[in-house]
Amino acid sequence: MRSLLHVCIPRWMRFSLALTAAVCLCSSALYAAAQDTISIGVVLPTSGREGKPGQYQKEGIELAIKKINDAGGVNVKGKKYQLKEVFYDDGSDSAKSVALTERAMSSDKVTAVIGGYSTALGEAEAVMPDRYQTPWITCGAGATSIFAHGYQYVFGTLSPVSVIGSTTAEFLGGLVDQGKLKKGLKIAMAVENTDHGIDYVNGIQQWIGKHPGYFSVVFNEKFELGSTDFSGLLQKVKSSRADIFLSDAHLQDYIVMHRQYLQSGMHHQMISYGARGPEADARKALGDGVNYIFSGIWWSSKLPYPQVKQFLADYKQFTGHDPDSWYAATAYDGLRILAAAITQAGSTDKTKIRDALRKVSLTDSLLPGGVLKFESNGQAGYPFVIVQNQPGGKVELVYPKSAATAAPIAPVP
Amino acid sequence: MNLPSTIKRLLPFLVLLVFFLLPSAGASTDVIRLLFTTFVWTITSVSWNLVGGFTGQTSFGFAVFYGLGAYTAGLMINAGYNPYFAFPAAAAVGLLASFLVGLPAFRLRGPYFAIATIGLTEAVRVIMSNLKITGGASGLSIVEHRVFQQTEHYYSALLALAMAVGISMLIADSRFGLALRAIRQDEDAAADIGVNPYMGKLWIHGIAAALTGIAGALHARYAVFVDPGGGPGGVFAFQTGISILLMPVIGGIGTIWGPVLGGAIFGIVEEELVVRFPSVHLLLYGILLILIILLEPDGLVGLLRKIFRRSSWKFSQSKA
Amino acid sequence: MTLQDLLDPLIAALLLAGVYAAMSAGMTIVYGVMKIVNLAHAGVMMLGAYFAYELFERFHLDPLVSAVLALPVFFAFGMAVHWLLVRWLPRSDQPTLSSLLLMFGFWLVLQNVASLIWKNEDRSINTSYTLTSWHFGDIAISKVRLAVFIAAVLSIVILQIGLKRSWFGKSIRAVIQNPYAAQIVGVDYDRTARLTFGLGTAFSGFAGVLLSMLYSFSPDFGRPFLLRSFVIIVLGGLESFSGVALGALVLALVETWSIQIPGVEASYQPAISYGLLVVVLLVLPKGIAGLLERRWRTG
Repeated sequence: MRSLLHVCIPRWMRFSLALTAAVCLCSSALYAAAQDTISIGVVLPTSGREGKPGQYQKEGIELAIKKINDAGGVNVKGKKYQLKEVFYDDGSDSAKSVALTERAMSSDKVTAVIGGYSTALGEAEAVMPDRYQTPWITCGAGATSIFAHGYQYVFGTLSPVSVIGSTTAEFLGGLVDQGKLKKGLKIAMAVENTDHGIDYVNGIQQWIGKHPGYFSVVFNEKFELGSTDFSGLLQKVKSSRADIFLSDAHLQDYIVMHRQYLQSGMHHQMISYGARGPEADARKALGDGVNYIFSGIWWSSKLPYPQVKQFLADYKQFTGHDPDSWYAATAYDGLRILAAAITQAGSTDKTKIRDALRKVSLTDSLLPGGVLKFESNGQAGYPFVIVQNQPGGKVELVYPKSAATAAPIAPVP
Repeated sequence: MNLPSTIKRLLPFLVLLVFFLLPSAGASTDVIRLLFTTFVWTITSVSWNLVGGFTGQTSFGFAVFYGLGAYTAGLMINAGYNPYFAFPAAAAVGLLASFLVGLPAFRLRGPYFAIATIGLTEAVRVIMSNLKITGGASGLSIVEHRVFQQTEHYYSALLALAMAVGISMLIADSRFGLALRAIRQDEDAAADIGVNPYMGKLWIHGIAAALTGIAGALHARYAVFVDPGGGPGGVFAFQTGISILLMPVIGGIGTIWGPVLGGAIFGIVEEELVVRFPSVHLLLYGILLILIILLEPDGLVGLLRKIFRRSSWKFSQSKA
Repeated sequence: MTLQDLLDPLIAALLLAGVYAAMSAGMTIVYGVMKIVNLAHAGVMMLGAYFAYELFERFHLDPLVSAVLALPVFFAFGMAVHWLLVRWLPRSDQPTLSSLLLMFGFWLVLQNVASLIWKNEDRSINTSYTLTSWHFGDIAISKVRLAVFIAAVLSIVILQIGLKRSWFGKSIRAVIQNPYAAQIVGVDYDRTARLTFGLGTAFSGFAGVLLSMLYSFSPDFGRPFLLRSFVIIVLGGLESFSGVALGALVLALVETWSIQIPGVEASYQPAISYGLLVVVLLVLPKGIAGLLERRWRTG
């Protein structure tokens, strides 16, 4: 109750102040930013449907802020600034995520905002950066549509989702070349009915179009996100008699669907849920049922870079647990590239930082390839890695070959 | 005419004037944004009250009109129409949709109507998030080739709200309003005295839906994005329908100012609650709803009225 | 299409119908006696799921055992809710809006208290038999679905027999048929209402445990099932359990088969059951009560 009073009153006061302002024509800027800090807005879901991944991204951002601040802060023309996080939990609610992004940009006067986990929330938020001319970086929305509007202040550290599709197809094609899978296998695809799912399907179909004879698509349908029951859809997949099952789903939908997949005794030579697969929650819910699922993801803890080893140690120390799939890494690098851009801009001016973001490249990136930079549309473009859940609770990096920690197990026994 | 009643009559205009002058008085962007959101919510609250309060038909389905209004505005603006054509168009679509809903659904009474509206919202949401023209589940991005002017949005919302409250006042004092109250109290008795309950419900529902459509259009034009809502926050989300219902119930259904009060509280407090206590704000609404149903069916306005009456009674007693 | 393609959805629909029937039973009985449309039904099912989850995580108790345990626990819970909230409602032989909104408020409370306790993330129960199935040739029957189906059918049969035989069951049926006449012949309405609400809640909790074996759940769990319960009880004519069973079967068949039609995308599946709710409500012009009246007049 005490805290309620403490936190609510300033807001109410500001509101009533504004009302009196109408009468006495005086306005006051209550929140004057301190001189030696740069505040960064962070708008992520840490509750609601996307609460788990959002929490991981928040941890990645906070770790990066802590490391930068511990090292003295961000260097702007020789002066060191401490980073300050202004965090809002949007509860996985798209309308609230927009309102809170706007609030961070207009009321908290942040220098930049990092936010937008999941494509739906990212698309909603992406409107605000240009309106308030404040750079915005999403570390959790990878659909190309967000970057197709010509927005000038929008950046994203996730490679396009369509590349997951083509990487997945390329990986499967490689298995055919190695003789692990037969040529001409039938693929069934069931994807979420968002731009994320559409991009994924496009990626796969483009690859198949360019490489005739490898695979044929016999089933391609979309499903409603957040459904409780996928048995009808799976029934249709079953009837299509496909050899390979490819889905693109969110974490919850992946768990619900795969549970029903296993219950109905289905089996395919290869199975994937897009960018989901190695999460600890899935293994907790489904046990060994998640074995052999492979997924195309933006980052894996198995990448053989020294900076990844360092990140793993730091993250474990910071949060007390290992990073779960890719979520924390893209957010960690999202903040780091922002800091690099501020240094490069040599200013805290938001437009100058935006200009710097277009040119900057993070050369010790955790992400595949080791270098993170933004393409002309604002979206990052680096290769994907493919990991597979293997027996014994292991998640192995199986593609690309140069970084692989284990051979892919194919077909699924 | 005595002084207090003159003040009472002028008060709404005074408040309107204050809100009208606010942006030029230098209110911050954030205050304007918050007030804009509050106005939009209050319009839906006032509209719902026409059906739920005056006429006694509980609907969980107002998100349908809100969402259709948003999509109409979005598609029209994208097609290059002036946004001020989009508002009446959104109202027209809301009206049309209300007939589609109302013509069959008002054959049902009370709770059956309420249940039907739950099913309807969900069905519309699923359909809208699978259509190509609406941008599917990813939502619809709106491109308006104008410079964003926050105060313009603010004034259009203020105007729409004033219109909604005005309509609600006009109806309350009219014969039509009396007929609606008769329907709420006893449909059969109302029919006996010459009121056609079916037509009454249909028309008031239409007016409310048109106003809600405008609210949706205002929201869409400001947010420049319409999310159909697989999760909360989408225009067709179950949560949206619930918010629209909670505001007038908390404020006091069947009154003019109850829904306004409910909407104002909701709009201003909601975001702060979400920011400070992300998981508790709906719990508070739940508890408030239970308390109001059991203890004070006339909502906060009823409560205020009681307090006011009691204190003035005491006051006059002590004078005597 | 092969025989298997026909049989698979049929079996799936049948197994689904069992759960659907169990989850609608609690709501039916509360409506029948008290004329309350119990929206909190969804919240109680969600609590049932977490009840099973906690017992499973802490004591490795099989959810089927938890289902039996849930009956007395949720019976007591229902009685408490009745004492605390429901008894203050004005009594009516018509469903009232205040009862609808009261139960809705209570649902909001349950949902948000649960999200405070268990956080807003999905949980699931993974027993040794959750993911396995029996194979009969090409046809696979999920063990857990079969177990849930049997439990659901058994519970409904026992409830039906219990209501036929016991004094309490007779008083419930008397109140459903005519609350005034029932009181004249010595049925204590308030006591019957209290016990009925307890029984209905017990069944909702029981159904929640069964659902927790099939699906993962979060505090928002229950809303899609609440809507399906509406469809079922409206289809079944509200007061009889055989009607509920029939309604459940119809809904399960429609849901499973509708998207097998070529050209109907799976993403439309939820719209079909929600749409069915609206259609069913409308086909009975006076709503549920109209059908009830007709039933009493003819039988």
